[in-house]
Amino acid sequence: MQVRKIMCACGSGLGSSLMVEMNIQDVLKKMGVEGVEVVHSTTSDVHPGAADLFVVGRDLADFIKDVDKDEIIVLQNIVDKGELEEKLRAKLEA
Amino acid sequence: MAGMAEMLKRENVQIVEGVDSWEESVRVAVQPLVDQGYVEARYIDGIISNAKEFGPYFVICPDLALLHARPDQGVLKRQLAVTVLRRPVRFKEEGPDVRVLVTLAATDADGHIEVMRRLATMFCDPDNITKIAEANTADEVYAFFTAPIE
Repeated sequence: MQVRKIMCACGSGLGSSLMVEMNIQDVLKKMGVEGVEVVHSTTSDVHPGAADLFVVGRDLADFIKDVDKDEIIVLQNIVDKGELEEKLRAKLEA
Repeated sequence: MAGMAEMLKRENVQIVEGVDSWEESVRVAVQPLVDQGYVEARYIDGIISNAKEFGPYFVICPDLALLHARPDQGVLKRQLAVTVLRRPVRFKEEGPDVRVLVTLAATDADGHIEVMRRLATMFCDPDNITKIAEANTADEVYAFFTAPIE
């Protein structure tokens, strides 16, 4: 899928979401992907069109209702870069 | 941009034997920041009520909680605190067990980015979390967070 903007979200928009944002930037660099904007915010900012791809931890997945399931990555372990890379590749290379 | 030495004070690092509930663990972990004027007491209630509303999203991996609420829920100055529990606590019945509680008080979305980068690097490796959880003294825990990255 064509991804220009990725939004990481958590309950307060400055803890786990920021950590995920950093990990995404590292993984994108490793994958050689450029030109993707990565932002962090609260789950209340997650709306269709706010980004092309949304990344959340599993505890918050149920709070994201109006976005297409294909546009969401749910992480079991927020600090696991291996899981993140696998799931990002599956989306970006699809 | 605030680095780790500025964001984490030795007096805000503690080892605690155990707690009776996850709510109590939040109170214990945030109290040093209340005592020293980094957050208002209502920050504790903010974290607890966020967890009740959204679930414990701040348990970012096994053994580690990054406790935090929003800046408008009572943060006065940006700061970290670290509590190690000898007996683990669970934020959900099905787990995971958590022994390391890192409390984050952030004043905005980005001002703590440098310490978050440091924490993300540390916590990528589960062995580092275990080392913190099994440290013998609070001085050792503090040293682990503030040592220069190799």
